[in-house]
Amino acid sequence: MLKSKRNEALVAAVLVAPFVAIYGWMFVYPTIQMVILSLQKAPLIVSAEGQSSFVGLDNYMRLFKDPIFYTSIKNTAYFLLLTVIPGTAMALAIALMVTRLKGWGQSLILSMFFLPYVLPITVVYLIWDWMMNFQFGIAQHLIAFFTGKPVNVWRAIPWFMPMVALITIWWTNGFSILLFLAALRNIPKEVYEAAQLDGATRWQLFWRVTFPLIWPVTVLCLTIQLILQMKIFDQVYLFSQGGRTQVTMVMVQYIFESAFIKNDGGYAATVAVAMFVVVIAFSVLNFQALRAGGSR
Amino acid sequence: MTAAVETTMAAGVPRRAGFVDLGAVLLTILTIIVACIWFFPVFWALSTSLKTDQEAIADGINILPSNPTFNNYLYVIQHSDLPIWYLNSTITSVGITFLVVFMSACAGYAISQLRFPGRMALWWTILASFMIPGTALIVNHFIIIAGVKLLNTHLGVILPLLVAPVTVIVYKQFFDGIPRDFREAAVMDGANEFQLLFRVYLPMNWGITTALAIITFIGAWNNFLWPFLAIQNEKMMTVTVGITQVQDTFGVAYARVIAGAVMAGLPVAIAYLLFQRRVTQAITLSAGIKG
Amino acid sequence: MANVELKNVSKSYGSVQVIDNLSLKVEDGAFTALLGPSGCGKSTLLRMIAGLEEISKGQCFINGTEVTQTPPSLRGTAMVFQSYALYPHLTVRQNIAFSLSLAHAPRKVQDEQVGRVSKMLQLDQLLDRRPAQLSGGQRQRVAIGRALVRDPKVFLFDEPLSNLDAALRSQMRVELAKLHQDVKTTMIYVTHDQIEAMTLADKIVVLDKGIISQQGTPLELYNRPANKFVASFIGSPAMNFIKADVASKNGDGYTLALPGGRTATISSRGGTASGNSVEIGVRPEHLALGAPGVAGSSFDGTVSIVEQLGNTTLLYVDTAGGTLIVEGEGNLRVAVGDKVGLTIDSAQSHLFGADGKVI
Repeated sequence: MLKSKRNEALVAAVLVAPFVAIYGWMFVYPTIQMVILSLQKAPLIVSAEGQSSFVGLDNYMRLFKDPIFYTSIKNTAYFLLLTVIPGTAMALAIALMVTRLKGWGQSLILSMFFLPYVLPITVVYLIWDWMMNFQFGIAQHLIAFFTGKPVNVWRAIPWFMPMVALITIWWTNGFSILLFLAALRNIPKEVYEAAQLDGATRWQLFWRVTFPLIWPVTVLCLTIQLILQMKIFDQVYLFSQGGRTQVTMVMVQYIFESAFIKNDGGYAATVAVAMFVVVIAFSVLNFQALRAGGSR
Repeated sequence: MTAAVETTMAAGVPRRAGFVDLGAVLLTILTIIVACIWFFPVFWALSTSLKTDQEAIADGINILPSNPTFNNYLYVIQHSDLPIWYLNSTITSVGITFLVVFMSACAGYAISQLRFPGRMALWWTILASFMIPGTALIVNHFIIIAGVKLLNTHLGVILPLLVAPVTVIVYKQFFDGIPRDFREAAVMDGANEFQLLFRVYLPMNWGITTALAIITFIGAWNNFLWPFLAIQNEKMMTVTVGITQVQDTFGVAYARVIAGAVMAGLPVAIAYLLFQRRVTQAITLSAGIKG
Repeated sequence: MANVELKNVSKSYGSVQVIDNLSLKVEDGAFTALLGPSGCGKSTLLRMIAGLEEISKGQCFINGTEVTQTPPSLRGTAMVFQSYALYPHLTVRQNIAFSLSLAHAPRKVQDEQVGRVSKMLQLDQLLDRRPAQLSGGQRQRVAIGRALVRDPKVFLFDEPLSNLDAALRSQMRVELAKLHQDVKTTMIYVTHDQIEAMTLADKIVVLDKGIISQQGTPLELYNRPANKFVASFIGSPAMNFIKADVASKNGDGYTLALPGGRTATISSRGGTASGNSVEIGVRPEHLALGAPGVAGSSFDGTVSIVEQLGNTTLLYVDTAGGTLIVEGEGNLRVAVGDKVGLTIDSAQSHLFGADGKVI
């Protein structure tokens, strides 16, 4: 195409400028600032301009010895265990059921599964808080049926994480369901017909035909869920309000608490950097593990 | 949905003509049951919101309200700041949606179609942004927005939420996929780059823009953490944040609280139900990016 | 209306040289075809004239003005793309008017121009349809209309008929010929189909790997090919090539020893054969069919395939000189396995040297 190179660069600059401005100001700059901040002691609610002081690696030293930090990692990991694989398996199961339907029936059933995904977390919180309400929640009837008496799930520590995990799965499953549906739709009919002619049972059809063919999407779902759920905050924060938040703290929550409750911005940034490292490490490991598993 | 109509795909068993495939029927029934269980919380919320407060906390299980009433909704509208929160949410969500879509289309177009210094560097930076969890930056966002005195303002809520690399990537890949011929024909017709973007490329497929806009809107409406941090003034809150404040205001008026929740979720639920196809499309697009 | 001139143009993509030092003159008002196989550079050449490709070296002139650096929309050219590239979201009317609308022409002007063009191309009934609702031939006419409305000095066509089926193609060929008669604009037409080139063009430029193999009127290229490439490319069915040795030379006439033992005498066109082996080029219609073993014939052979087309018959005859294609009358009664004799029409035959050039 004939056009002066300078003209092209100018037009391009105009087009990318808004995005670059926002991206730089609200993403790149904060990331750099986060690292710098982690080397400081910086109260956030300050009256004067900056009572922050440089403290070098003190914050990091503190972090290494911080039991709450390790608790938050442990809780996050526990949460991942409860949500990533069970959630993906659930989504696959639902997708397998939904894909058999046709027409408006499929649309209807699918929207029943998917609707939670488009709801705000606070709405989800209020709905489930009401359902599990210790005195009046309808779910207490179910709980009492199994355990003999009603349980305050938000305060009974062993119940807390599993409950939050369940709600999170309920909330976010729609995403994975859609992906699996798309993948299932892409499997050509002939593959099933050939397998049926070979005498495969339903079970065999799934494990030996369907599952291997959708493995890439399965990996994708697991990866996305893993990275996503590592960053949870909203649900845990909302449901643990008023209780012993330190026991059930997760990583992002610790950042939040350090910054805004303990007013220690520098330390919060340190936690953030640490979390960043953990996320990357996990992503890489996850990627490798699934890569290896997939090449069988 | 008769067994004769269904073709069993994922759990396929040959259908013998004239016979009812028992397995298929059972699976379908199971599907419906599971869907109903899944949907129950939403249904229960709707049902509760139409009950009186007394009925809501009454003993026993009353699936449906005996005398459905909209009083709770009226109460919330009249006695809380919910209408204002609706306005705030609308302003911020619409603002975010418009700005994100516009900026991303422009940037995605430039990266896809134009050659300029720094193009590849910019692209890699955008791709690499997935490594950094956005939620880890809340502290810094707070510092920055506080620094420019935009806390408790709409703009302060909007700004950090404008970072949407996924949208840029989707647009870039979309533009990449448009056959070169259209560009050349338009160039021969005398189009400049802006005309190419706004009169040829974008109009050729409004579906993608619609899909991205809807998903951005839903994400913006539903965002909790940042508006929660950035706004202390109750009158400036978004509805997503506001309804968590209502709990204290109403005390043990559960039906009212739930009514508030229903109202908060209604716009995005409607957006989804009306534009199901677009939402699905947007999700599969953005998932493809993350993979 | 304008003439086009390319002076010593070269085009390379990185280290790959696609066009090397090519010069070409296209006459004002003429229909010129750029003909050649895939990869010969014909589309590249067209796009360089259009301004869609940069000219690595050399210059391009339209009507005497140098346009080498001028943007495409300012050259006075218009192009019809192989895929038509009609804007799918616009109606036919809007597609045609697009260039005017980009230039912010007043609505009245746009409507006038669209009306003029749609009348010429019989698109009046289709103006409010979208491209997806049109047939292939209709789409092509819209593409032409979009180009026409700009009143170009030079019309460029990039293989516009290759997406159509055979019947439609012949029909559109006629329409293109009529279009040229009507508007009398300079037209440059890229194709790999020699029938299109032969029927439509006033002048054909045959391209081979980025250089001009030969240029001339269709009949010139057909009857007096300058090299083996042009000879084999033009004409369907293709020319037969027979390897032969030079027995003796008498002035312009070469006596050749044919495979199989007989001889033929063919005049050169003034050149000299270097070395002893040449190739004889003879078209299927210039091989006479007769009984085997007749004195003065060129080959005896066996018929291996008979193709009856109704108006002609094509025979594939295995001979000592290879399998030769012979064209005969439509009502020829020949069967596979028949023994026949073939005679070369010396006056209509060509001699080609080892370098492929005609002798």
